[in-house]
This record gives sequence, C-alpha cells and structure tokens, in this order.
Amino acid sequence: MKNSTPPFVAHSFRTTEGNKTGSWRFLRPRYDEKTAPCAAACPAGEDIARIEMLTSQGLFKEAWETILMENPLPAVCGRVCLRPCESRCNRREFDEAIAIRAIERFLADTASRDELKPSLERFASRKQRIAVVGAGPSGLAAAFFLSRLGYGCDLFESAPEPGGVLRYGIPSYRLPAAILAAEIEQVAGSGFRLYCEKPVTKALFEQIGNDYDAVFLGCGRSRSVGLLIEGEEPGEVEDGFEFLRRINRGESPAFSNAQVAIIGGGNTAVDAARTVLRLGGKPVLIYRRRREDMPAFEEEISMALEEGVRLLELWTPLRMERKEGRYLLTLQQMRAFDTAPGQKSRVEPAEPRSTMELSVIHILKAVGLEAAEEWQNPPENSEKILRLSDSVLVRSPSIVIHGGDLASRIRSVSHAVASGKEAAIALDILFQKGPDEVLPGLESCRVGNGPALSLEMYMRGPRCARNPHVVVFDEINRDHFQFAARLVQPRLLAEERSRGFAEIDLRISAGLAMKEAERCFNCGLCNQCDNCRLYCPDLAVVRQTDSSARSIDYDYCKGCGICVVECPRNAMSLEKESAPRAQR
Amino acid sequence: MKRVLEGSHSVAEAVRLAKVEVISAYPITPQTHIVERLSDFCADGSLSARYLRVESEHSALAALIGASSAGARSFTATSSQGLALMHELLHWASGARLPIVLAEVNRALAPGWNIWADQTDSLSQRDTGWIQLYCETGQEVLDTTLQAFRLAEHVSLPAMVVLDAFFLSHTYEPVDVPGQREVDRFLPAFNPRFRLNTETPCAFNQLAPPDVYMEMRRSIQDAMEEALAGFSQMEEEFSGIFGRRYGAVEPVECEDAEIILVTSGTITSTSRQLVKELRSRGERVGILKIKLFRPFPAEIIRQCLKKARKVAIIDRNCSFGAGGIFAQEVKAALCDLAERPVVFSFIAGLGGRDVTVADLENIYTQVRNQEVPQRESIWAGLHPVPAPELNR
Repeated sequence: MKNSTPPFVAHSFRTTEGNKTGSWRFLRPRYDEKTAPCAAACPAGEDIARIEMLTSQGLFKEAWETILMENPLPAVCGRVCLRPCESRCNRREFDEAIAIRAIERFLADTASRDELKPSLERFASRKQRIAVVGAGPSGLAAAFFLSRLGYGCDLFESAPEPGGVLRYGIPSYRLPAAILAAEIEQVAGSGFRLYCEKPVTKALFEQIGNDYDAVFLGCGRSRSVGLLIEGEEPGEVEDGFEFLRRINRGESPAFSNAQVAIIGGGNTAVDAARTVLRLGGKPVLIYRRRREDMPAFEEEISMALEEGVRLLELWTPLRMERKEGRYLLTLQQMRAFDTAPGQKSRVEPAEPRSTMELSVIHILKAVGLEAAEEWQNPPENSEKILRLSDSVLVRSPSIVIHGGDLASRIRSVSHAVASGKEAAIALDILFQKGPDEVLPGLESCRVGNGPALSLEMYMRGPRCARNPHVVVFDEINRDHFQFAARLVQPRLLAEERSRGFAEIDLRISAGLAMKEAERCFNCGLCNQCDNCRLYCPDLAVVRQTDSSARSIDYDYCKGCGICVVECPRNAMSLEKESAPRAQR
Repeated sequence: MKRVLEGSHSVAEAVRLAKVEVISAYPITPQTHIVERLSDFCADGSLSARYLRVESEHSALAALIGASSAGARSFTATSSQGLALMHELLHWASGARLPIVLAEVNRALAPGWNIWADQTDSLSQRDTGWIQLYCETGQEVLDTTLQAFRLAEHVSLPAMVVLDAFFLSHTYEPVDVPGQREVDRFLPAFNPRFRLNTETPCAFNQLAPPDVYMEMRRSIQDAMEEALAGFSQMEEEFSGIFGRRYGAVEPVECEDAEIILVTSGTITSTSRQLVKELRSRGERVGILKIKLFRPFPAEIIRQCLKKARKVAIIDRNCSFGAGGIFAQEVKAALCDLAERPVVFSFIAGLGGRDVTVADLENIYTQVRNQEVPQRESIWAGLHPVPAPELNR
C-alpha cells in the first residue's frame, strides 16, 4: 500500500506547568490529624489509634513504647482494664469494636518475652525529690511519670511486694503474679527507688513531708466497711478483699465441697466467689439488686456462672446464726423499682415478705472498702487545696498530692494511672511555674479536651499538633473499609478454669494481633494509606521520596476537596481560603 | 491448515496470529466465545498479550485507548448493549486516530431482550469514524480480522469486524488457518506514527479550538478515503499471500441481471442459493454483497447497479423513521446517476428471525411483479400482532 497521510491530531509538547491551577482555589485542603474517640475515652489518654496503626505494621516495640508514653502498666491494663476505649470505638457502629485491650496485652507480653527495653523521652534532672506512699497502680504510675519528668523518687510500700490491689486484690487467673512482677520491674527501670515492708504511719508521713519536697499519697482502700448483719460479731465475717489477699499471699484453705456465701456484686465479690470455687467450695453469690445492676464486669459474671458459681439476685442477708459449726444465713427477697434502662435500680423488701435459709460453712462480705486510716483521705475543705480530676493537691503545711482510689472519680486501674500522671504533671508545673499555672498547664495537655491527660503532649511531643476534635463515625469514609469480625479471645474451657488458678485468657499470636489492629479505622490519624495522592486529579499531592509523608502543592491544588473526602479517617480538613486570591 | 472452527474462534485465531499485545473485554452474548478463547490463548502462552478484565465495555475500550496510545496492537470484542455503552469512546478512538480492532457480533438491542442477529447495533455507530467490515463466512471472519489490523494501522483509524450473531458467531465451518510466517509477512509488527513515551512527554488530545478542530475532522475524512482507495491494494497483497480476496463489494451474476439483491452478512449466503435456483429457471437475477460499509464504496456500487432495472436492498436493521440503513446509503449513491434502477427497500430478519430461501424468493417475486415499491420500506414476513395486553 502506498503511504497514507499522517493524521492531524491534538498533541502538544509544551508543558502545562505554567498553568498554576492553584489560583482557581477558594477551598484549601490540609493535613489535620484529629483525636480518636478511644484515646479521648482512655483514662490514661493512650494514643490508641497510633498504637493500632503501629501494631498492624508489625512495629510491636514502637507500639509498646507508645503505650508506655502514657501508661506504665500495659501488661496489667491489657488484662484488667474496664475498657472505656472499646465502648467508644467508632468501629462499633460499623461491625464490632477493636479488641484494644487484647492488643495491649499482646504488646506488653511480647515486649516482656523479648526482654525489650523501652527508649522513652525524659526531662533533665530536677533538684526536687518526691516521696510516693503506696506501690499500687497510682503510686507506681506517679513514680514512673515523676522519674521521667526528672525527679528523684522514693516509693514506700507496706506489703512485702509491690502492686497493691493488683498484687493482693486480683486473683491470679485474671492477673498472674509473675506478669505483674515483671511489669513492675520494668516500671522501676524508669529510675525510682522502691522500699517494701516500709509502712508509712501518720508520724512517718509527717516526717517525710519535711524530708521531701512533696509527697504523693496513693494508699488506696483496704479496710472493710462495717455493715454488721444481725447476729454477726464484729470481725467475725471475713471481708472479700481480705480473703483474696490471704489467697494471693499463698494460703490455700479447703472448702471440701461446702457452701460459702459471698455478699456483694462488685468485682471483688465475683473474684472471691470464683476463688472459693477453685478451692473446692460451692460459692453462692448474694446480691440485693438485679444482675444487670452488679458493678462487676459482665464478662466476669457470666464466666463465674459458667464455672458453677450460684447467683442469688434480689436477696439480702437478714440475720445469721451459728449452728453445729456452720452458719445459718436468713435471706430476704427484694423487689426492684425505678428500673430505668442503663441505670442502677433501687430495691425494697418484696411484698409479701419472703425469706429463705442458707446453710454455709463460711461467709464473705464484699460490699465496699475505705481508707485504712483517716489521715490518708484527701482533706475536704482546707486552705490551699486544689481539687483536680483524679487527685487532690494540698500545699500546706507541706506539699502533698492525694491520688489513687481515694481521690479518683472512678476506681479502676486505668484511673489510678491517670491519677498518678495528673499528680506528676501538676507537681512539675507547681515546681517549674508556680501554683497559678497548674490548672492552665493541665488544660494544655488534655486529650481531645476530655479529662484524660497526655504526657507526650505535656512534653510537647508531636501529639500536640493534633486537632482536639474527636472523630465521630459519620466522619469516617466507610467505602474504604470491609466488614471483618472482631478477634475472639481464646480462653480456657470452663472445666479447665475451675480446676486451678491458671490464667484464663490465653495468648494471641502476632498474626492475630496484626489482623485485629488492621481493622482499626485509625480515626483522625494518617496511616500513609496514600488515598489523598491517588485520588488527586491534579497530581497536587506530593509524596516524600521515602513515602513517609505527603504535602500539598498549592501552586496546582484547585481545592476540589476530593482528597479530604477520600481520606478514610478524617485526617484532613477543607477550609475556606483565608485571603482573596490574586485575580489572574 | 484446514480446521473446523466456530465463527467466534475464527476471530480469536486471527487475533492470535496478529500477535495482539493488549486485549481488554467485558463478556456479552454472543461475543463471549471470542474473548474466552483469547483468554485461553493468553493462559496457555500461545499468545503473549496483556489481557485486562474490566468492569464494563466503556472501560474495555478506554483501556485500549490507553494501550493503543502507548503503541500496543489492541483488540476487543462486543455486541449490542456493549457497543452502545462504548459509544462515547468509539468517537474518542477515531478522533485520537488509534488503530484498535473490535470484533462486533451483530445482536439486537433491548428491550425486549433479544440476543439474536440484528445489524442495528453496529450500523447506529456508522458516524463514529470507525472502519466497518461485514462478514459472510467463518473464513471471511478470520481473513477480515487480519485485514482490519492492516487497514486500520495503515490509515490510523479504528476498525470493526462485524459478524452475525449465531448464524456466524456460533456456526462451525471448515476454515483455513494460515501459518504464522505468512501472517507476519502480511501484517508486520505495529509501527505507530506516534506513541506515549515518558522520554519525550507530551499532552495528547488536548483542547482543539475552532481554528484547528475542523482540519482534524477533515483529516479523518481523508483517512477514510485513503482506506477506501487502499482496500483493494491491501487485498491484492492479501491474496498474493493467502490466495483469497473478497472485495469491498462482491457482485454475483450482476453483469446481465435485471434485478439485483443487495445484501450483507449471512443473508448473502442464502441469497446465493436462491440466485442459483432462479438462474436455473432463466431469471436474470444477481447479488451485490456489501462488505465494506465504512468507508462506503459508493462509486463501485454505482458501477455494479447502474445497468439493473430494479434493485432490492435487504436490511437486517432499521433506522426508525427512515428505514433500512443500507437502503439509504445505496439510494444516496445512486441518486447521482441520470438513469438509475428502481430501488426497493426490504426490512427482514430483525432480532434473529430466520430469512429463508423462500422468504427471499417472496421478496424477489414482489420486486419482479411491481414496477414501483408500495412503501418506502417493506417489512418482509411480518406476523399478525395480537391485541395489546398492556392495560390488562
């Protein structure tokens, strides 16, 4: 065939770079990392979205260190935290919440197994020295955070071993003693000195008030609340917490298949009942309200029932008698009223009156604890006290900060950690900037404007750049996520559990942990998914050569906002251009 | 080598022999066998093409526009709704002057749903700037596919190889499958006139304001004319290698014919049977088969038809409100003649209805017995329509 005519088509070899399409823009996208709801809900203010992101990438040490930035006790909290984070997880509205606690435990256990040493930022040494009374979770946290802020700390504990309620109040099937010991050893690596079997009396307290620049008091609650049953001799009925302490110290009473009554509905009551079961007794848990009113964790209650604990709800002890070496307990039936959903009901004796008798070999009461000694309580109304979220600062006659269970809003391990952290930061502000700066200083490091404080933010770490706005579910672009079932926590069978004190929750593999962490929306956080760059129609999102970060080339960004919409996790914002742009 | 092949597989064999580099397709009956066979070829290594599965016909052609712009020999196949969905990109491919080859299996458009033979789908794309080649037999399908690449790449325009649903796509016939060496001689590797090249970046198909757009369109028209002029030369080369030629049109017994049937596709084969019978009875009848529809070979058609007294154009298609599409084109070609035959336009075989020798004889008899057509288009073999049921 003879040659054909070359086609006349639109081709141009001139560059379009001269056409600065950015001049068309009236909306401006920018990277704007925000706050995840889990982090805002975590009493310790852990950067959970980032922890999940690092875990999903297999960066277990970095993830563990990110926890330690805010919480020295991940192996503990990874087991016994009440998980306020999971109940606020945005993924709950999509399928199921991320198993945040299980991942925390995995990270702590992995770090412990690999004998990792964290590299954590700390301030230069300060001249002030601080005494911490009580090596429970709040005291350990206070000493840990104070050490990182540069203070020399001495920690005094009355018991032979540190841990407080963690060591003596929680059965080892929930928190094995070896795990706790290893974690405390790791916390002590932050530099404080620990003195056990060093009880602080009122006199000693006053003395150390003079010897140290400040005292943190984290004594906790250890004395049983009175409440005598008719027919009970004072001291005759053992407290549930005291019972657990006995067992945790190594005692092993045999109940030889006899009934034991446990009165109460909190975690201590449930723990005591399950401990009785493991020691061969037949526990009967007696609670005056309904099961759904019980303060104990629902999961613990159902496991207790599965194991064989008998629950009598809406019964209360009326009187007790001694009969042939046993106790005859008379119970009265109660009726619930004011039963609004989600609220604790109120109860009154059922009409017509109804009672039942229970023959038991032992009675345990777990109806509440108070401070062992009155002086340990934070003062109510005195000059120069400053009531903070989870601690109380007293500046006269000497500087004392009350923390832990006696000063927290909520009694939990993570609130104790929050209390220790708040006290450490408050003392640092007090020493470095003066009393008037304490409240504004604490405000500047709150996570998402919530009550939780962040040490990273206090130390002016990268987290300070985050927008305090807490990301809500509707701000997540769900088109970029697929449904995936939540991790199922592997456990011992009920039969295996009731035979001994082995830890019930089993380890999860790295693969499972990563898979679970991958489910995380990473609300408000850039996880380098690259959607902004891939969806930009103008190639105006520029990736750094090591692909660690992106920037927007405003010379060409038209402000269409596609990057912001296609960001799956609301880590970008679109704003009006502030100044009118020059006309072309 | 002679093999018994399904019509669809004849297309696939030709694509394999053409050493196509990129195939992108979305399945649709009755085309699917073509791309199924091609995916087999890609899987077993007998064709080393990049085979793209896409989510629609629109994307299938879009992908090939990219591939062809990068200088790859590209192929797709479709039918009916699939071709309709490609419509926007049909214009784009020709406007960008990309020699993509598309096998189009003629199928009726819905509704009502119908998967059978009907030419309205391809003929309603006549103005998109694509070369259109209609085939009659399995052998012609294979040969035309090879020719389409050659012609398309010669003039930088895309080409459609058109075959009837089932009558051709699903019918097995003996086909001579040529050897690779002969095909390579006829169809060397694609040597694009321009291509995307990151070494010399440039913008493609950018804004074309009024001062250049018209010239670009004229360039397409010129290329179509070159395709028409080059067709016989291309066939000359083809027959030199393979010993077969088809012609842009094929006149059968037209020299002394009083009545000429104008056909395309498989209706031609049936007409050949009729003409044989009528000729044996002494009737002076012929056939003009139209293979090349775009560019339209108006001059050759005029030469072939001008001596006949009557012409009957049989359309398996309809442009509603005007009539048979081949008829319109042929009438337009004839109107320049001072003395021209009387033209009868028949619509037949829509939606796969069989057009038998008896049906064609019926048409022939009508034409012979009438001096002028009773209507603009005569619908052959209509059934009585039942009373409407819509409002029951």
